[in-house]
Amino acid sequence: MFKAIVSADTLKTTLDSVSVLVDECKIHLEEDGLEIRAVDPANVGMVDLSLSADAFESYEADGGLIGVNLSRLEDIAGMADAGQLVSLELDEETRKLHIQIDGLEYTLTLIDPDSIRQEPDIPDLDLAAEVVVEGKDINRAVKAADMVSDHIALGVDGSNETFYIDAEGDADDVHLELDRDDLIDLSAADAHSLFSLDYLKDMDKAIPKDAEVTMELGEEFPVKMHFDIAEGMGHVTFMLAPRIQSN
Amino acid sequence: MGNADLRDLATIEEVPWDELDPGVVAVDAHNWLYRYLTTTVRFTNESVYTTAAGDEVANLVGIVQGLPKFFEHDLTPVFVFDGGPSELKADEIAERREQREQLEDRLEDAREEGDAAEVARLDSATQRLTDVIQETSRELLSLLDVPVVEAPAEGEAQAAHMAARGDVEYVGTEDYDALLFGAPVTLRQLTSKGNPERMDLDATLRDLDLTREQLVDVAILCGTDFNDGVRGYGPKTALKAVREHGDLWGVMEHEDVVVENADLVRELFFDPDVTSDYAFDTTISPDVDAARAYVSDEWEVPAEEVSRGFERIEDALTQTGLDDWT
Repeated sequence: MFKAIVSADTLKTTLDSVSVLVDECKIHLEEDGLEIRAVDPANVGMVDLSLSADAFESYEADGGLIGVNLSRLEDIAGMADAGQLVSLELDEETRKLHIQIDGLEYTLTLIDPDSIRQEPDIPDLDLAAEVVVEGKDINRAVKAADMVSDHIALGVDGSNETFYIDAEGDADDVHLELDRDDLIDLSAADAHSLFSLDYLKDMDKAIPKDAEVTMELGEEFPVKMHFDIAEGMGHVTFMLAPRIQSN
Repeated sequence: MGNADLRDLATIEEVPWDELDPGVVAVDAHNWLYRYLTTTVRFTNESVYTTAAGDEVANLVGIVQGLPKFFEHDLTPVFVFDGGPSELKADEIAERREQREQLEDRLEDAREEGDAAEVARLDSATQRLTDVIQETSRELLSLLDVPVVEAPAEGEAQAAHMAARGDVEYVGTEDYDALLFGAPVTLRQLTSKGNPERMDLDATLRDLDLTREQLVDVAILCGTDFNDGVRGYGPKTALKAVREHGDLWGVMEHEDVVVENADLVRELFFDPDVTSDYAFDTTISPDVDAARAYVSDEWEVPAEEVSRGFERIEDALTQTGLDDWT
C-alpha cells in the first residue's frame, strides 16, 4: 500500500538528485518515508537518499518496493507548478502508479524492480577532512574548472586550514581556495583526490544553491557530499569515486 | 552452413554495453583481430596502416579502437591466441592441416557458388595472422598490460574452456561454435558499433530441452567447421531427429543418415586440445605513452588515427569504481 500527497517542488528535487546518475531506480516505500539508493552503470557515482514522511502533506506506506523510470516521472512532475500538490497512489494489482495533479490524471506503468540494476553497497569510507560549504561555492568551482579541464582536484590543506580546488588544463589552470572564514565549517586534515568533472557537474546540478553541503575528503579516496532537501526533512548523500592520479 | 544454423538454435539476446555485468572476457584473439583487419583495411585508406617497408599493421589500429569499449564497461579482456604449429604434436599438425585444406576446398566451392557470406566466414577461418601481426599485437597488448593466454591449439576452444572452469565470465567471439565448446556465456559483436549479443548455453539447452551432447549432435547433423552436414538436415529437422532418437547414433540407426567419423567430430567439441595451465593478472596498468610511441613511431601509424582510442583507454583505466571501497 502506498498513498501520498507531496508538493511538486519536493518531488522534483528528490527525483533530480537521483536522475543525474541513473535513468531507472528502485524506491523503497517505508512506513516512515521514501528511500532510494542507486549507482551509475560504471560504478563511479552513487546517491543515497531519504525523504521522511514528514516531508509529505500526507503519507501512508507499508514497506513496498517499486521501480520507476525517472525521466517519465520527472516529466509528469514537471506538469505541476511549483506550489502545486501531487498525489501518488500505487495500484498493487496492476503495478501502476496513479498520479494526480489538479484534475490531471496520469497512470504510470512501473518497472519490475528486479530488472533494475542492483542497489549498491555503501562504500566503507574513513574520510579525515570535512568541510561545509554553500552549494553556490561548489557550483562556482565546478563551472570554473569545466572551462579548462575534464578533471578537478578537491583538497584540504591541513596546516593552512584551507579547502582548495585545482583544475589543470592543457593551457590554462584554475585554482580556488576557501579558508575558514569563507567556509561554514572545517575539520582540517590533509586530503587530495582527483575527480571526473562529468560526474561532478551532474551532481552539482542536483545541489541546491542555498544548501549547506558537507563534503568529506581523503587522500585518493571517494568524496562524500551530503545536504538536506525538503527543508531538512530529506537528506541526500552523493559519493564519487576518484581518478587515479598519474605521476 | 553450421554457423547460421546455430544462430537459429541458440538463445541470444542483444544487451546494451552498459547493462553487461562486469567481468573478464576471454577473447578469441584471432577472431577479434580478424574483424578489425577486414573492416579497417577494407573500408579505409590502406596506406595509413602500411609501413614504408610494406607491412600491414591495421591490427594496431584495431586494438586501440577496440579496447576502450571493454574498459569503459568494467570488462577485462584476456586475449587467447591460437597455438603455433610448433606446439602441436606431429599427428595433430597433420590433422589440423587436413581440416584447413578441407576448409579451403569448401571456400573454393563457396566462391564458385558465389555465396558471399560463406566466403567471408571461411576466409576468416583460413586466414592466418601474419608473423608481423602476431608479434606486434602481442607487443602492443603487453605495453597496455592486457593479459594474453596462449592456447595449445584453437583459441576459441581454450577460451570456452576457461569460461567453463569459471575463470572468466565470458567468451568473446563471433563464432557460434563457442556454444558447442561449452562456453556458458558468449559475447558477440564486440567489434561492432551497436550492442553486443549475449549467447547463453544454459538458456539455449533449457529452451531447446536438450543436453549439451544432444545440441552438439544437432549441430553435427547440420554441419560444423569439422564436418559437412547431412543433406536435408537443417536445424528444425536435426532437432526433431535428435529429440526423437536420443542422440546422433540413434538418428543414424533409425534414419537414412551417415556422418563419417561422428565420434571424432564429437570429440573435437568435448575434448579439444586445451590447457588448464594458464595464469593472468586482471589488474591493468598500461604504459600508454610507450604504447603510443610503439604504434606511431615504430610502426608508422599516424598519431591522429589512434589518439582518441588511447585517450579513452587512459580515461577508462584511471577512473576508479566505488566498489573498490566496499
